[in-house]
Amino acid sequence: MGASAIGDLIDPGMAEVRERNESAWLLTPRGEVDRSLQERMRRYGDKDEVDVVVVGCGAGGATMLQRLARGGWSTVGFDAGPFWDPELDWVSDEAGSHKLYWTEPRVLGGSDPVPLGSNNSGRGVGGSMVHYAGFVPRLHPSDFATLTNDGVGEDWPIDYDDLKQYYEAIEGELPVAGDDWPWGDPHRYRYRPQPVSGNGEVFLRGALAAGIEARVGPVAIANGRFGHRPHCIYRGFCLQGCKVNAKASPLITHVPDALAHGAEIRADTMVTAVELDERTGRAIGVRYLRDGVEHLQRARVVVVAGYSIETPRLLLNSVSRRFPAGLCNDYDLVGRYLMVQGAPQTAGRFDSEVRMFKAPPPEVSSEEFYETDATKPYKRGFSIQTVSPLPITWAEHVAAQGHWGASLRARMSDYVHWSCLGALCEFLPQPENRVTLADETDSHGLRVARFDYSQCDNDRMLVKAAQEVMERILKAAGADDVMTIQRYAHLVGGARMGADETSGVVDGHCRTFAVPNLYIADGSVLPTQGSANPALTIMSIAARAADRMLATDPTGKRK
Amino acid sequence: MTRLPLDDAHGGDRFPGFDVLAQSRRWDAATRAVVEARLAPDTRLRFFSALEAATAGALFDQLLDQHDGVKVPVLELVDDRLARDETDGWRYSTMPKDPDAWRRTLAALDADSIARGGDSFGATGRDAQAAIIQSVQDLGDADWHAMKASQVWSLWTRYACTAFYSHPLAWQEMGFAGPAYPRGYKNLGLDRREAFEVRDHRPTLDPQRDQP
Ligand SMILES: Cc1cc2nc3c(=O)[nH]c(=O)nc-3n(C[C@H](O)[C@H](O)[C@H](O)COP(=O)(O)OP(=O)(O)OC[C@H]3O[C@@H](n4cnc5c(N)ncnc54)[C@H](O)[C@@H]3O)c2cc1C
Ligand code: SF4
Repeated sequence: MGASAIGDLIDPGMAEVRERNESAWLLTPRGEVDRSLQERMRRYGDKDEVDVVVVGCGAGGATMLQRLARGGWSTVGFDAGPFWDPELDWVSDEAGSHKLYWTEPRVLGGSDPVPLGSNNSGRGVGGSMVHYAGFVPRLHPSDFATLTNDGVGEDWPIDYDDLKQYYEAIEGELPVAGDDWPWGDPHRYRYRPQPVSGNGEVFLRGALAAGIEARVGPVAIANGRFGHRPHCIYRGFCLQGCKVNAKASPLITHVPDALAHGAEIRADTMVTAVELDERTGRAIGVRYLRDGVEHLQRARVVVVAGYSIETPRLLLNSVSRRFPAGLCNDYDLVGRYLMVQGAPQTAGRFDSEVRMFKAPPPEVSSEEFYETDATKPYKRGFSIQTVSPLPITWAEHVAAQGHWGASLRARMSDYVHWSCLGALCEFLPQPENRVTLADETDSHGLRVARFDYSQCDNDRMLVKAAQEVMERILKAAGADDVMTIQRYAHLVGGARMGADETSGVVDGHCRTFAVPNLYIADGSVLPTQGSANPALTIMSIAARAADRMLATDPTGKRK
Repeated sequence: MTRLPLDDAHGGDRFPGFDVLAQSRRWDAATRAVVEARLAPDTRLRFFSALEAATAGALFDQLLDQHDGVKVPVLELVDDRLARDETDGWRYSTMPKDPDAWRRTLAALDADSIARGGDSFGATGRDAQAAIIQSVQDLGDADWHAMKASQVWSLWTRYACTAFYSHPLAWQEMGFAGPAYPRGYKNLGLDRREAFEVRDHRPTLDPQRDQP
C-alpha cells in the first residue's frame, strides 16, 4: 500500500475529497507539478465547438474548469500567463518574483489611487492565488444584506446559506487549517492550527492582554501532508509562490483534476474579445492571441474569469452593434462598484527578536471588529491579521515614515525586532470606483484599463479605527514603538451580481443578464466584500455556479 | 566576508559574522541563479545616458546612504529594469510612464541644482544634493516641475529600495538570511534562531527610539 493510500485510511476526510477532486494525488509522489499531465492533455481545434471556454485560470476560472470537466463538459481554459512549474519558475526571493504579477500597463486615478501589480493582480495558471497570502476566511451571514441591515453597501441576490455547502466543499479541497472559528457562522476546520512564529505569538499575546479575541488561521496550508503535497517548511515566502506546494493555489488544487478529466488549458494566450452572434445575441466563442496571431475558439458557453480589472476591461473591449458601449453594458454597470479593502499595516518594535519573516505570513487573525457596532460612528468593520513583510516590502513600510539615506538604513537594520499586523477594512461599493478604458494601448494594441478610486467617509473612519486597534494590540504585547503604512488589499466587484439587470451584470448564478450563454465567475461578481480575504468566497461562488450549469444545461455531457 | 560599510551609530555590525552569501549553496538552483545575477550586473548601461546616469547614481547614493567602499549596484540594477521595461504594472494618471518619468525627474534634479547656482546634480556637492532631495520630499502633494512631488518620491524610493533590498549584502545588515528553500525554518518563536542565524548583538539600539 502506498503512503498516500495509508493516509486515506487514517483520514477519511481525505478520501472523501479525493473522490470528488483528485488534484493533490495527481502531483508527483514528491509533490511536484506533474508535467506529463500537460503533455498528455486533450487538445481541441478552434473549429471544434467545445461546451465551454473559460477565460482566466485563477481562483474562479480554475474552479469552474475542474467542476465542468468533471461534469463531462468539453472545456478549454485560457490564461494570459504561463503554465507554471513551481520548481523551475518560482524563486525564494522577492524581486525575482516579479513575473508572477500582472504588470501590463494600467492607469490609476481618483482621489485615492490604488497601486496594482504585485499587491493584487496575478498572471498565469493559478491566478492571483499563486502569490496570495493564504488566509481563507468565509464571509459572515450579515455580508449578504448590508443595505437592509445597515443602510450601506448592497444586498446580494443570494445569501450565506446558498454558499455554505460550497464553502465547506472548497475548505476540504484546499484544505484549510485553523482554530475553531467563533465568528460569523461558527464552524470548524479539518486541520489543526499551524504552530505560530514570533509574529503570531506577539498578536496572540497582545490580543489576550488587550481583551481582544484572536485565533490561529484560517490558512490554506495543510498542517501535515495532503495527498502528495508536502508539509509546509515555514520558509515565509508564501507571497512569492509556494515552491513546496504546501500552500493551496488552483494550480495544484483544481487544475490537475481538470486536466485529468479532459480539460485543455492554453497558457500564454491572451483573450481579446468575447465574440457575439449579432443575430441571436448569443456568445459564439472568444478571440485570442497566440504568438501574435489572432484565433477564434468556438464554444457553446463562455465563462469570463479574469478578475476585477481584466474582466471589465475585456467586456468593455468587446464591442458590437448590439453592445456599442461594451458587452453586457446596457445599464452602464460594467466596471463599476469595484472595491478594495483598506489595509493599513501597523508594526510594533520589541527588544526581543521577532523575525517575522519566519513561517507563513498568514498566521493569526481576529474578526472581533467585523460587524457593525452601534456605538461607533461608522457602519460595518474590519478584521486584523498577521502580515510579515519581507525586506523590500518592509523598506516600503519604513520609507513611508519619511526615512531615507542613513536613517532608512539604520531603521532597516532593526528588522528582526519588528512585528507587523494588517487590517482589512470593508470599503463600501461606490459607482464611481470603476474601470474604464484609457486612450493608451498595450503591446497587443488593446486599450488598457484605467482604475479610479476614491474613499468615502465611512472608509476613512474604518481605517483610523483599525489602526488604533492594531496599535493597542502591539502595545499590549509590549511594543515600545509603532509605525503604520496606509495600503490596500484585494480587489472585488466590477461586474457585480444583482437581482435584475438594472442592479447587476450577472444574476445569483453568475449568468449575465444580457447574454444567456455568457457567465462571469471571478472576484468581479461580489456586490460587497466584508472584511474577509476573498479567494475562498470566489471559489465557492464559482463552484455553485458550475453546479447550476451542470444541473440545468441539457446540452452538456456530450463529450 | 564582504560587508557594506555602515556606521555603528546607523545600525552597522549588529550581526557579527553573519554571512548570507556563504550560505548560497543551500539555496535551490532557480533562486541561486536569480540572486547571483544581481551581484555583478552589466556595467554597460542601456537605459540611462551618461548625464542621466551621473544624476541617477547620485540620487541613489543619497537615498540609500551609499557613498564609499563596497556598494550594492543600484544604478545598474535600475538601468537594467528600465531597459527591459519591467514596471510595477501601473502608473498614476498624473505621471508619465515610468521610463519617461525617470528621464523627466532626473532632468528636473539637474535643473534644480543649476538654479541653486551649482553644477548638474551629479557634479554638485553631497550636502547640496541632500538639500535638493529633502526639498522635494518636503513638498508632499504639491507640484514639483509639473508632477506631484509625492508621486515622484514614490517612483524614486520604489525603484531604489527594490534594487537595494534585493541584494544579499543588504539582507546581511538586517539579519535576514534570504532564500529559505529547500531548508526552511525549524525554530519559530520570539528569540528563537536557526543555527545559521546570528543574534542581534545590540538589541536595544532601536534606531526608531534613539533617533526620532
Ligand atoms: C499579494 C496578494 C495577497 C493576497 N492574499 C490573499 C489572502 O490571503 N486570502 C485571499 O482570500 N485572497 C488573497 N488575495 C486575493 C486573491 O488571490 C484573489 O482575490 C483571487 O485570486 C481572485 O480570483 P479571480 O478568479 O477573480 O482572479 P485571479 O485569481 O487573479 O485569476 C485571473 C486570471 O485570469 C487571467 N486573465 C485575465 N485576463 C485575461 C485575458 N484577457 N485572457 C487570458 N487570461 C486572462 C490572469 O492571467 C489570471 O491568471 C491576495 C492577492 C495578492 C496579490
Ligand atoms: S511558508 Fe509554507 S506555505 Fe508558505 S511558501 Fe513556505 S512552505 Fe509554502
